[in-house]
Amino acid sequence: MRKTPAVDRRSVLKGVAASGAATMLGRPAFAAPRTLKIGLVAPQTGPLSLFSEHIPFVLDQVKRATGGNLKIGSTNRPFEIVVKDSQSNPNRASEVASDLILKDKVDIMCAFATPETVNPVSDQCELNGVPCVSNDAPLEPWFFGRHGDPKKGFDWTYNYFFSADEVIHAMLAVWTRIPTNKKLGVLWPNDNDGNAFAHVMPPPIKEAGFTIVDPGRFDLPANNFDAQISAFKAAGVEGVFTVTPSPEFTVFWNSSAQQGFKPKLVTPGKVAEFPPGVYPFGDRATNFSIEVWWSRFHPFSSGMTGQTSAELADEYEKVSGRQASMGLGFRHALFETAFDTLKRAHDLDKHESVRDALRDMDYKSVVGPVNFKKGPFPNTSLTPVVGGQWRKGKKWPLELVIVDNKYAKEIPTGGEPAAMT
Amino acid sequence: MIATYANLIIQGILLGGLYAIFALGLSLSVGVMRFVNIAHGDFIVLVSFLLLTVATALHINVLLALLLVIPLTFAGGYLLQRVLLQRVIGQSVLLPLLVTFGLSIIVQNGLLEGFGADTHTLSAGSLDTSSLHIGSFYVGVLPVATFVLAVALVLGFDWLLYRSRIGANIRAVADDVAAADLIGLSSVRIYAIAMGIVGVTVAIAACFMGLRMNFDATSGPSRLLVAFEVVVLGGLGSLRGTLLGGIILGIAQTLGGQIDGAWQVLAGHLVFLVIFLLRPQGLLPRY
Repeated sequence: MRKTPAVDRRSVLKGVAASGAATMLGRPAFAAPRTLKIGLVAPQTGPLSLFSEHIPFVLDQVKRATGGNLKIGSTNRPFEIVVKDSQSNPNRASEVASDLILKDKVDIMCAFATPETVNPVSDQCELNGVPCVSNDAPLEPWFFGRHGDPKKGFDWTYNYFFSADEVIHAMLAVWTRIPTNKKLGVLWPNDNDGNAFAHVMPPPIKEAGFTIVDPGRFDLPANNFDAQISAFKAAGVEGVFTVTPSPEFTVFWNSSAQQGFKPKLVTPGKVAEFPPGVYPFGDRATNFSIEVWWSRFHPFSSGMTGQTSAELADEYEKVSGRQASMGLGFRHALFETAFDTLKRAHDLDKHESVRDALRDMDYKSVVGPVNFKKGPFPNTSLTPVVGGQWRKGKKWPLELVIVDNKYAKEIPTGGEPAAMT
Repeated sequence: MIATYANLIIQGILLGGLYAIFALGLSLSVGVMRFVNIAHGDFIVLVSFLLLTVATALHINVLLALLLVIPLTFAGGYLLQRVLLQRVIGQSVLLPLLVTFGLSIIVQNGLLEGFGADTHTLSAGSLDTSSLHIGSFYVGVLPVATFVLAVALVLGFDWLLYRSRIGANIRAVADDVAAADLIGLSSVRIYAIAMGIVGVTVAIAACFMGLRMNFDATSGPSRLLVAFEVVVLGGLGSLRGTLLGGIILGIAQTLGGQIDGAWQVLAGHLVFLVIFLLRPQGLLPRY
């Protein structure tokens, strides 16, 4: 019996694959330019998810403004934004950043929303030599929290936002203009922020002539502030400065009302930055004071859409039906700065070249000028901060009014500081 | 100085009222029905979420929602006992412990899945912030109302258990199931009714806890710890002891917080340990 030599399936496939590869190799001149990849690590779920509120809107803006192509010199380069969820967890943030670097091979990384997200992502980028631009993480915890050396700085990672030092001075500018006995009660919990505040804040506050009444660090979650309220009342405290999550502040502020504690100035950090944080209090939130790092009144405009701050805020409110808040400006600016970097890079296939473009940035964004050579520390750029208070609004139940601009005169005020009623 | 401490003690007593309400259901099931419900705290949190959902969906005050939810939790307790717990009760001490431990995990993860990890509070409108001015003291209307309710519940359940027909039945079944069955009491039904009553206390605890404190899907075990301490402090089976235990824990925590913020929770545990060492049977034991 004679066997017919049959061509088996596998060798046929191999042949097809090889000829395919050969065709591709043979025609380099006709290949479309490589799609640029921008990695974004965002806390889309978990306790920090409030920070991601504006992301879908801004991604949509990017799509409309660019059509998925970045005009670099005379060519149009297609780009893709790969978004990964940090689940509000630093370990997870580090993991997805490493995925973006190693699997997706991103050309530039973006991150935002507190040092819990930004620091682990920055560390991964520093380790793997990928340029990373970030914001919405205060400069001190970003730089010193990552053991930055002010003489050397970092090689691959850059961050722009306010500094803790800048914020406390902006708040003191408001507090000193409200007549009180200068006795300030503080609620600083036993967590990263609370301990950092207890360490950093007292010297500048005392320098400004305030006495601090500090009932001590308390563990979160906390459900009972009777002891703190009674300590404040006993000391005759007229101002309160808290940095607790919003559920804790609700318990504190309700108990204060029940027990007849009525401070003249209240600054609820981590609560009054967000409209949903103040709405539940209604009139009882009138004149809450808070630092303002972006608002519709900031006299800057976007290099991506050409919108002014007010136009950006209006568009967001129209599209989403929600009040625009500080985070919106920084979400928008994050993409502005990433695009500016890519546009100025000499060789987009070299991480070093993209990094050099990032390092040399001198850009006017919707949150203010960004220049990493001017920051208080290497690799950082400081954006302006002013003082604001929540007042009864026309379009929204409560609106943030800028009441003091001691440290950023270019941002106009809309009112004067006033005591709580 | 004296005024400060007097004020703190008053606030502590009022907080104690809330703790007593937490512990009431556990006190009933441990002291009277002789089984430990590990999921007690999680049931409270579960009903808090239920109240939140009902109040927001129907746009009604939480206190009104509570009236709607109480029959549900009575039915829930009744069915839970009849369908599940009855199968494991009396065979060994360990079995109900394991079953309720499993329930606790199911409830926590179910809530995490359904409501996420966010922290919530309930709101009863202007009642949240209204205040009474007595002499030089300010007290919240809500804590006072909670305390008055705690006293009323303790006295009411005390009457129910030790003066009424159904209470006599429950105690008879708890003392000796076989003998109770022999004289014609349906132990299955009576256990189920008792668990339904526990369900009512859980609903009340859930409402007043949610008004005063934050809750999230995983805050059940810390509530259980408070309830356990209160029950053991007061003495097993004694509802008046539960009220006293709650007040002692409330005062200890508030005074501890005056020393330093970090001492608040610790002081409660320390006072519990000291009293437990000196009087392991509790302050007002029934047995």
